[in-house]
Amino acid sequence: MIIFDQTIPSDMSGVTEFVSAVFEKLSFLSFDEPTVFNLKLCLHEAVVNAIKHGNKLNSKLRVRVIIKNEENKLIFEVDDQGEGFDPQSIPDPTAEENILKCSGRGVFLIKNIMDDVQFQNNGKTIKMVKLLKKEEG
Amino acid sequence: MDIKLDNINGVAIVTVGGNINMDNCNELRDAFKKVLKDGKTKVLIDLAKVVFIDSSGIASLIEMFQNLEKVGGKMRLCHVNKNIIGLFEITKVHKLFGIFENREEALKEF
Repeated sequence: MIIFDQTIPSDMSGVTEFVSAVFEKLSFLSFDEPTVFNLKLCLHEAVVNAIKHGNKLNSKLRVRVIIKNEENKLIFEVDDQGEGFDPQSIPDPTAEENILKCSGRGVFLIKNIMDDVQFQNNGKTIKMVKLLKKEEG
Repeated sequence: MDIKLDNINGVAIVTVGGNINMDNCNELRDAFKKVLKDGKTKVLIDLAKVVFIDSSGIASLIEMFQNLEKVGGKMRLCHVNKNIIGLFEITKVHKLFGIFENREEALKEF
C-alpha cells in the first residue's frame, strides 16, 4: 500500500524540512528514536543524491518520493529525472585510500542501514527496504 | 545550525547545535577556517546539541581533521550522541577522530 507519494523540486534548501514532514506522516509506525534517525538519514541522503547527482541541481527537474508499507517492510523509492549512473562505480569510502575523501559516504550509509537497497531504472531510482518488527507494522 | 567559538587553555572549542547537513555545512567550514586563521592547532568540537548529521556534515569534520593534520594539530570530539557515533562507525571515520564523553576528558588528551 502506498502511504506517501510526493514530487518535489530540485531545491537543496528544502530537503531537511521535507524529510521531517515525511516522518511526521509516518509517526503512526511507532519506530524507536534510533530507527527514525537512521531512516531519516537514508531518505535525506537519497533525496540529496537525486537532486545533486541525479538532477544536477537543475531546478526544472523534479524528485519523486514514494513510500510503501507492505506486510513486514517499509519501502522507500526515490526517483530523479537525470541521466542515471552505474551504482557499481561507487568506491568503498572505508578503504584506506578513500577514508579521507570528503564525499562518497551517502550510498554506503544507506546500504549499511537499510535491509535491502536496489538501484533501478539505470540508477535513476533507488529502492530502499527496511524490514519492520511486528509492533512497527 | 548554531555555532559558538570559545577558548579554554589554548584549545579552540567549537560548540555546534542543530543539524549539520548538505544545506548548512559550509557554515561549519567557515567556523573551522576562522579557527585555523587564528592559529589554533588544538580543536575540540562539542556536538552535544547536534541532533542530526549527514554525509556532508561528516565530510566537513574530515576536512577539518585533514587541515589540522597538515599543521601538526589535533582534533577531538565530545558529547557525540549514539546515533551519530553509529554513523561514524559505519563509515569508519571514528578511527580518525578522538571521541570523548565530555570536554574534561577530551581536554586532557591534547
